Amino acid sequence: MSWNVIFENLHVVEAGLLLTLKLTILGIIGSFGLGVLVGALQAYSRFWGKQLADLYIEIMRNVPLVVKLFFLYFVIGLDAFPAALIALVVHQSGFIADVTASGLRSIPREQLEAGSTTGLSRTRVFLHILFPQALRVTIPAYTNQFIELEKNTALISLIGLQDLTFVAQNIQIETYRYLESFIVVTVLYVGIAFFIAGLMSALQARLVLR
Amino acid sequence: MTSVAIERTSDERTKWIAWYVTLAIMIACAGYLTRNLEWWVVWRYREFLMKGLWNSVAFAALSIAIGMVVGTVLACARSYGDTIIRTIAISLIEVVRATPQLMIILWVYFIFPEVTKQTISPELCGLISLSIIASAYLAEVIRSGLMSVAPIQTESGYATGLSRLSILMWIVLPQALRNMLPALLATWVMLFKTTTLVYVIGIVEFFHAATIVNSRELIPFTVYTVLAVVYFVCCYLMSYTVKRLDPKYVLHS
Repeated sequence: MSWNVIFENLHVVEAGLLLTLKLTILGIIGSFGLGVLVGALQAYSRFWGKQLADLYIEIMRNVPLVVKLFFLYFVIGLDAFPAALIALVVHQSGFIADVTASGLRSIPREQLEAGSTTGLSRTRVFLHILFPQALRVTIPAYTNQFIELEKNTALISLIGLQDLTFVAQNIQIETYRYLESFIVVTVLYVGIAFFIAGLMSALQARLVLR
Repeated sequence: MTSVAIERTSDERTKWIAWYVTLAIMIACAGYLTRNLEWWVVWRYREFLMKGLWNSVAFAALSIAIGMVVGTVLACARSYGDTIIRTIAISLIEVVRATPQLMIILWVYFIFPEVTKQTISPELCGLISLSIIASAYLAEVIRSGLMSVAPIQTESGYATGLSRLSILMWIVLPQALRNMLPALLATWVMLFKTTTLVYVIGIVEFFHAATIVNSRELIPFTVYTVLAVVYFVCCYLMSYTVKRLDPKYVLHS
């Protein structure tokens, strides 16, 4: 083992880590927003909205991410970064919408009715009454989805973005040192995943009823 | 009671009619809009593509079969083992689950020959990495199934004088299997989608076959649409079974 390989290429690793982090954070924010929106539509809208949301969720859940990525990049011809971000957001939002919808369905309907009776608008009822209660149940599932998104960012190296996976392969091609670069990159991925898990469980501890 | 039943069936029927009408309109629109695309070019490659799809299914099936066995062992080790065995099982499962699937495939592809000093074929390598992924993910599902069986079942097994292995085989696992079936099928769908990734090490499965067709004919829209539709149909059939199996279908992570 010669860890010099890593220290010599430290700036490359750093750039890769930054890109991965950037995509992870933007992807989590985007997919969470979109997923909650679609999930709410699925759980509370009348006929057509519900069918539309169902269709969206099923398509997103059942088509592999690589296919979406290549579709956006090669067929529609977006730039690499927007294509990667949109693919990640759209893919994970399907799963998050499903989780959100099942969380919202576990809240009794009386809560919605009581909120409406007090004169709150539908949006306010959702934001202040229904969603916080659903959140308490769904946080573990959200954690899984966020970590899944973080792991899926590894795929963007396939369309040439220089993230951690790309960097690992690059160092290996340039220096023939397989083990070192792979260990460092894997440790970084696992570290980010554990960080997300820790953050989310801290959040859950704060949301627990006392 | 009857009124409720009638209401529900008519509601169902409206829903299905609405779906069929929408679907027909969508297909008509899509057909009209894409009348200039060369669908027949893809049809000409049907045998090649079918072989790719068959490869995908074979990889998924084999890795799931291996993953079920190894996953059961890991899940039992995590649930019933002593401290050392449990720690080993937990760290194995968690590390594999926290590493990107693509990285696992690359690890096996590049590091395995390095360590063992012998070359292996890409196919074997893909199978090994998919099996590792499947084992870790299925272990968690199986463990949740084992947890769902009431402890009194094990205790009554002991009371009847069965050995630990027989209790596991004949009492706990069959009940666990029934409880975890929806989660299990959902994970199988996920693993089937994961097989797209082995194209990075040069295995010609369905995704790779389609990209090859695309680079020969340069009709990306047609090829990738076919790709998405086929994957959607395959996975949707499985997800649909999940939903039929479990009417409650609440949280699954």
